Amino acid sequence: MPPDAIQVVQSGIDAENRGDFDQAVAAFRKAADLAPTTGIIFLRLGEAYMKKHDYAAAIPPLKRAAELTPDSAAVHQLLGYALLAEGYASEAIPHLKIIHDFGALGIAQLQAGQAAEAVANLQAALEKSPDDPDLLFYLARAATGLSGQSLDRLRSVYPNTARGHQALGQTDYEMKMLPEAAKEYEQAIALRPDLRDLRLELGQVFAAASEWSKAEEQFRGEAHLQPGSAEAAYRLGNALMQEGKMKEANEELKRSDSLRPDMPETLYALGRAAAISDPDVAEHALQRVIELEKETPLAGQAHLVLAQIHRKQGKTEQAARDMQDYRKIQALAVRPQS
Amino acid sequence: MTRRELLSLLFSLGALEFGGVLPAQGTEPKTAPVFQVKTLKGVDFVLRNSPTSRKHLIETMPGGVALLDYNNDGLLDIFFVNGGHVRDNMASPISFDRRNPAYWNRLYRQNPDGTFTDVTKQAGLADAGDSSYGMGVAVGDYDNDGFSDIYVTNFGKNILYHNNGDGTFTDVTAKAGVAAGGWSVSAGFFDYDNDGRLDLFVTRYLDWSVEKSKTCGSEKPTYCPPGDFPAVTNILYHNRGDGTFEDVSVSSGIAAKKGHGLGVAFADYNGDGFTDIFVANDVTDQFLFHNNGNGTFIECGLDSGVALSESGRMPSGMGVVFQDYDNDGLPDLLITQLPHDPYVVFHNDGRGSFSPQELETGFGVLSGRTSGWGVGLEDFDNDGWKDAFIVQGHVFDNVEMYDGSLRYREPPLLAMNHKGHFERADAGSELPVAGRGAAFGDLNNDGWMDVVTTSLGESPQFYLNRGGEFHWLTITLRGKRSNRDGYGARVQVNGQTRFATAAGSYLSSNDKRLHFGLGPAETADVEIKWPSGILQVLRGVRADQFIVIEESVQP
Repeated sequence: MPPDAIQVVQSGIDAENRGDFDQAVAAFRKAADLAPTTGIIFLRLGEAYMKKHDYAAAIPPLKRAAELTPDSAAVHQLLGYALLAEGYASEAIPHLKIIHDFGALGIAQLQAGQAAEAVANLQAALEKSPDDPDLLFYLARAATGLSGQSLDRLRSVYPNTARGHQALGQTDYEMKMLPEAAKEYEQAIALRPDLRDLRLELGQVFAAASEWSKAEEQFRGEAHLQPGSAEAAYRLGNALMQEGKMKEANEELKRSDSLRPDMPETLYALGRAAAISDPDVAEHALQRVIELEKETPLAGQAHLVLAQIHRKQGKTEQAARDMQDYRKIQALAVRPQS
Repeated sequence: MTRRELLSLLFSLGALEFGGVLPAQGTEPKTAPVFQVKTLKGVDFVLRNSPTSRKHLIETMPGGVALLDYNNDGLLDIFFVNGGHVRDNMASPISFDRRNPAYWNRLYRQNPDGTFTDVTKQAGLADAGDSSYGMGVAVGDYDNDGFSDIYVTNFGKNILYHNNGDGTFTDVTAKAGVAAGGWSVSAGFFDYDNDGRLDLFVTRYLDWSVEKSKTCGSEKPTYCPPGDFPAVTNILYHNRGDGTFEDVSVSSGIAAKKGHGLGVAFADYNGDGFTDIFVANDVTDQFLFHNNGNGTFIECGLDSGVALSESGRMPSGMGVVFQDYDNDGLPDLLITQLPHDPYVVFHNDGRGSFSPQELETGFGVLSGRTSGWGVGLEDFDNDGWKDAFIVQGHVFDNVEMYDGSLRYREPPLLAMNHKGHFERADAGSELPVAGRGAAFGDLNNDGWMDVVTTSLGESPQFYLNRGGEFHWLTITLRGKRSNRDGYGARVQVNGQTRFATAAGSYLSSNDKRLHFGLGPAETADVEIKWPSGILQVLRGVRADQFIVIEESVQP
């Protein structure tokens, strides 16, 4: 590097240290003119642009730096980040691969539509930083993307299989096209009546349409197929409750609770179903919801149902206390975020 | 061909796409239709709500209907509230073109042959004022002169029409001081202080104006939810007895609570002799205003168990009826609402508390994806149990674009009461409409309850009861010490209880006569507890007749 260029580079570093990134950029540009084949100058110029958050401007000098010093990890890191920041995910991927930055690589792969690779790399990144919220967020998104890609492939390649109909049914359900979803699931069941979860999902379609007797039929079928499934028992119990069949609902929800204890939703539903016919069971279940959920909205609802039970029993003071607890939780829910 | 006729034709051909994909919710009715749906000769009303692309919220909310005998000839007449002309861009001063006959409210007088004559103009009811968009109606004899008066609620100023007793009405709003303002919805006359004069309660929806109007949903514009607008207070007017009213909303405690009020119903829920008020709020806690008996009220919805639905959510309360569905002598609540929760049933457990019973009563399977508005609990088959009739239709006229499982136009729900459990029955029409108001009464004096409903952009529907074998008794109360209409009286007949009121439903006013189905019984024992506190008992009253019971002056 010529001596005059060294002097200019030093002035750029000094400016950067002062936080004067405009001055730093000007100095590094001048140095680059004086020493157009010195990779480190282009790296410093790109870095200065990135410190100014001008990622678009950073890309050309960093690309030049990569040409001049292809083995520099720092160059690939900055170039990968700059490209990713500007939305050039596919271009960023080879640079991020070189430096083994699994987190950034996973994000780039997710944005480039490579969901499977993204899941693998984000999981690898999470092994090093298990509680990183950004990584967790992108992993969730990548997993969803992977699921969607798999379903798309299933739908396009095997549309007339039970799984194909199930996938189509799921899509229709998510789009609130309930009659269409029901038809798909019914076709899936006709093709493979032994498949687990089909009736559970079809039951949920009917439940969304408030067709509770049809939902009950499907959940009952699933509970028959999977007698050990707590979810099938819970869904069946809930459908029975919606139909006003409180005694049957009570039994099914108790069964679900025994299969998988301490599920707050199951306990809450049990509390509702048993509120009139078996208030002791209801009270026990609702108290457990409160223990488990503390101050969540579900705990608030449990207090509300407890108040109903106590009012009906003439325990007005206890009901008033329940309502106080309910109001406390409501107040927490509406408190503005600081 | 009108739009309604076209819809009828399409439906009969089985080509009507909407409403036909999923079967009607719940089990299919197995019995013969309860009603015959007919047009009534002489009634040519069309509810003109004027839907716009700007989705002004008022245009999806009207309109009320009242069944009243305004000329005391023994025949029920019908009063309809119209909307108004709304345009995409409304310039100030805002005009809803209510002087145009197309947007008039209408009064139809029933003739002895069952036909109707439009008497709007001669009755003096034609001019509703250009600056008001019509909503609902309340009926009561506020001056105890023996003739039913009419109160019309509006977005804008409300109107009190005094019945002159000669077939005409006079707008006495200014003198009476009951114009209110803002957006009034349902209203009802009742006597909260038992002074023998009817007071007036008015629900108000929210703080909206044409200027504050907004559209929600960027790609699929639609009406904004109530939470997008500030809540407002309801109004209580005390009747001074000299033709004027005093706004006692603040001093009575009514104005202490702000909500999104739509429906209103009255009953003495705790048997203390004073009429209480229930307000159905849209996605706000429901209000139960307990009458303290000293001119003040305290809102006790949460503590009495009626503020929230069974699932703990705030119902989108629309219409409400406050009557006893399980014949235990205590008034219960049935509240209509929007999907995705069932219509709300609060059973009165006594001791001033209620418990949610929509699932136990069958409304979990009867509702949940339908949108309910006008509602009544009437004994349509005269078996001694009050049945439910609910007029339905979603708020959004493009709801199908948002949720393929919902419908803008829906047929009504008729559910027969089997000892406290309700099951779907054939109302006689599956024609889907954007239903709103509903009034209940015996239109043709045959002893069987009929229904008149309103729907947006269409003619009203008339559900005339086909009748049957059971017996009935219909009672007109005539208060002496109590208000002349007897509103607020508790009337018990052969183990059934009715709370005398014309209010309830949504925007509408019912036949004030009290109808009881008697089943096979040929006589009835009648017990009346008047608002004055007087208890009156009649034994062995012959069935199948209309009787007038005058308040005994002897306690």
